[in-house]
Amino acid sequence: MKRRDFFKHLGSAAVVAATVTPTMSFAAAKQANTISYKNALDAITGGKSAKTSKSVHLKVPEIAENGAVVPVTITVDSPMTDADYVKAIHILVSKNGNARCLDAHLTPANGKAMLATRVKLNGTQDVSAVIALSNGEFLIATQGVKVTIGGCG
Amino acid sequence: MAKRKSLIKIKPKKYKDGDIVKVSFMVMHPMETGTRKDKKTKQVLPAKYINNVKFAYNGKVITTLNVWETLSTNPVFTTYMKINGKGNLTVNYTDNTGEANEKSKKIKPKG
Repeated sequence: MKRRDFFKHLGSAAVVAATVTPTMSFAAAKQANTISYKNALDAITGGKSAKTSKSVHLKVPEIAENGAVVPVTITVDSPMTDADYVKAIHILVSKNGNARCLDAHLTPANGKAMLATRVKLNGTQDVSAVIALSNGEFLIATQGVKVTIGGCG
Repeated sequence: MAKRKSLIKIKPKKYKDGDIVKVSFMVMHPMETGTRKDKKTKQVLPAKYINNVKFAYNGKVITTLNVWETLSTNPVFTTYMKINGKGNLTVNYTDNTGEANEKSKKIKPKG
């Protein structure tokens, strides 16, 4: 091997090493889930389109001063009988590292389709409620929230 | 296994058979996302969050919740429940490190 070739090889090896190691260390340090909003929605609906509906009531504050605690309340108008009930309520957010917040699998024994919890929001973004009905349909409701101080720092 | 403070609240407090009541479950839990850094040591804090919550009424599972780290610290879960005779409401919850706990409350309908 000539001296010139040797340096060439050395250079390419260094480039490979440089590209591999930072990504690996980055992945190791970041153990948290990263699920994008689109992937999360596809995983829930299985590629079907979700309709916007007036029977889904999503209650989120329009302006949240503290992003660490944002109350979310979802109510669905449903008779909750064995034939017609809400199967699941999913909460999704559009801009957090992990878009999925919560999946609630309900049964007719609940009597009323309602779910309330508190979520962390990284910044100003949209909060969505995806509802799975027992007849296989999906409903969606979305509302934007303005966040003054992010809650994922 | 660390014992966690938790609470089950039923509203209204007085209820009859067949009523639909609001059930809230609160638990003291850090809900660490795994991306936050310790301010002093500058090291990433490992993720620790609740990932599964089960509401069971007399052994029958009513509601199952799959949870991710995006919920707030000390989370609250509120749903509704139909009262159907005397019994126990049990809430089982596990987190991503394998810690499992449970909390139960007696259901006593009056009238």
